Amino acid sequence: MNLLLFIAIIFAKLLKIAIKLGKRGGGTAAPGLLALKIYPRLIEDLSSKLENGSVIISGTNGKTTTCRIISSILNEAKIETIHNRAGSNLERGIASTLIDRTSLTGKIKAKTGLFEVDEAVLPSAISKIKPKIVILTNLFRDQLDRYGEVDKTRRFWKEALKKLPSTATIILNADDPGIAHLGHNLKAKVVYFGIEDETFGQKELFRSADTKYCATCSTLLTYELVFASHLGKYTCKTCQSQRPKPQIWAAKIRLLGIEKSEVLVRAQKERFSLTLSAGGLYNVYNLLAAVAAAKALEIDKKAITGGVEKFKAVFGRIEKFQIQERKILMFLVKNPTGFNEVIRTIFETNDKKNVLIAINDLLADGRDVSWLWDVDFEKLADKVKNIVTCGIRAKDMSLRLKYAGIDGATATENIKEAIEKIVHETKNGEVIYFLPTYTAMLETRKILTKMGNAKRFWED
Amino acid sequence: MKLEIDNKILTFDMTLHICHLYGDRMNIYGDDGNITTLVKRCQWRGIKAEISLVSVGERIDPKKYDFYFFGGGQDQQQVTVSEDLHKANRKLLKEAVNSGAVMLAICGGYQLLGHYYLTAEGKKLTGASVLNIHTVASNKRMIGNISLQINKLLAIGCQQSAKLVGFENHSGQTFLGSGVQPLGKVEVGFGNNGDDKTEGAWQNNVFGCYLHGSVLPKNPHFADFLITKALERNHGKVTLKPLNDELEWSAHFSSLARARQTK
Repeated sequence: MNLLLFIAIIFAKLLKIAIKLGKRGGGTAAPGLLALKIYPRLIEDLSSKLENGSVIISGTNGKTTTCRIISSILNEAKIETIHNRAGSNLERGIASTLIDRTSLTGKIKAKTGLFEVDEAVLPSAISKIKPKIVILTNLFRDQLDRYGEVDKTRRFWKEALKKLPSTATIILNADDPGIAHLGHNLKAKVVYFGIEDETFGQKELFRSADTKYCATCSTLLTYELVFASHLGKYTCKTCQSQRPKPQIWAAKIRLLGIEKSEVLVRAQKERFSLTLSAGGLYNVYNLLAAVAAAKALEIDKKAITGGVEKFKAVFGRIEKFQIQERKILMFLVKNPTGFNEVIRTIFETNDKKNVLIAINDLLADGRDVSWLWDVDFEKLADKVKNIVTCGIRAKDMSLRLKYAGIDGATATENIKEAIEKIVHETKNGEVIYFLPTYTAMLETRKILTKMGNAKRFWED
Repeated sequence: MKLEIDNKILTFDMTLHICHLYGDRMNIYGDDGNITTLVKRCQWRGIKAEISLVSVGERIDPKKYDFYFFGGGQDQQQVTVSEDLHKANRKLLKEAVNSGAVMLAICGGYQLLGHYYLTAEGKKLTGASVLNIHTVASNKRMIGNISLQINKLLAIGCQQSAKLVGFENHSGQTFLGSGVQPLGKVEVGFGNNGDDKTEGAWQNNVFGCYLHGSVLPKNPHFADFLITKALERNHGKVTLKPLNDELEWSAHFSSLARARQTK
């Protein structure tokens, strides 16, 4: 083994031990960062040792969940897999993950790599990892101060995809016109997934819809059905381009509350009756992407069905806590489309709910809170019993609610105080829906850990 | 007391006609909150507010609208909109300005109310020329919280605050020509071009700036100032009924504090 690579691995492993001993976090980023400084080709060298190659997943929403469903399927198929679990999706996180499973002799203890990758990192991840499969879930406006505009992301993605050889498979969301259009003129094989159960669509585009213009001729697309944001069944009346027919599709969907759904997935003639422990139409897309990947990896039907069944919801996406006989359900909110989908899932029923929203404006949350004005909070009017806002931008959040017709949202910057307040206002046995941005979620986790109610996320 | 009665008479049966200019294409930065704010602040006072979307391929009716809102969009949309402005709407917007209509444009929309926007690729996107400004793309992205001291000439008489606060995210540098006033002086942030400490522009009743946030909800003095001006186009002198703006001001001041903190 290359001496520098050896040194990089040793230092990274030592740093990880030090971080864990000092209880300063999960050590999911810093060791990788250090190792990359010592040996910049680390990702290329270690990932090339994965016998079955790698799967890369990117997109605005659904990366982590998709990754976890695939992981569960591979686990069921008894294929040893490594993946960056705790949401460390920059290069340093990928490097840390690889190092974790590499022995000091340079042997890697896995066959398949599974990496969720930040949108901005996708091109360099593709050129370094040379993946066998690339999955793109969707592309929505998201933290524009960090990622820039949607069109720009799509342009550099396209350049990266062009470089993939004919042996690679690219799995794309047919229902997202911006993603589907990326499938044209590529050397790699392209597989599309989409929803075909028409009972779920609506006629109107969502307020936060971004890619509603034809990527070929810029005409406003005509939607027969909209499933979420700008995802749906569309055609261009000017240049006749249309949604590609998916090879993997959801033929029948039953959404059974926030924690369960049943989906009949079709892959050409094959049928999969799948039960997923996650609600919401957005998770159906994640499921489809995962099944498409499993098919591309030639996993058998039994492992796919079993793997999906054993999947558990992901860190932060939905988590449960218990405080003084009140159940807290926490849903991470990151961008307008994600927030809209969470609202749609939670407020499906008409009973009035207890809601706590935490908005921070640190780098990982997006420093600009303008996006709150793209979320359809109007749908919450008449559906909340108690509502409290907190976090650095609590006041902005309460103001947004006022203009959505929801008065009386108390704003407290301090998250701990806000939790105590909503717990106090909520009756025994009732549920509190807690919707935090990323850093607010991390902060909450610390608070709840102190109260003895949560386990640390890097343990799983 | 008499004033109170006068107000009621004045606002009775008033309608604010709002044109959301290219609203389907220029809306990526969360600027639509401005429209929501205009509508709500009218409705809370018994003033009707009607919004019409006018987009690519459609013509504005300069007689009809009191208020034009033009938000920020992506580069490609700016190109499409610039081309469309040239067909007819550029002229019609000038007519609208002459009729006393109020315009508020943010970021990409602001750039397109000027003479031109020179892109990073060297392409010149011509604008509506209702503001004597021009914008040149730079390789520096100006991102962050922004606050400014409002230009005194604007006479937004407000007891609570003489500032505007928001979030900027642009790489275009805007320069003001003659006859156009800045909206204010930058306290925190970059402003028009990062050099001369000016931010925004106003000329006649046309206002442009780089403030996202959305800007109007947490700057209620600016919102009411614009609504008043727009209503006065058809109704003579208008005095708006005060609203309970406790939450608006608390968001305003907490955002100002946050801007200073992140300086």
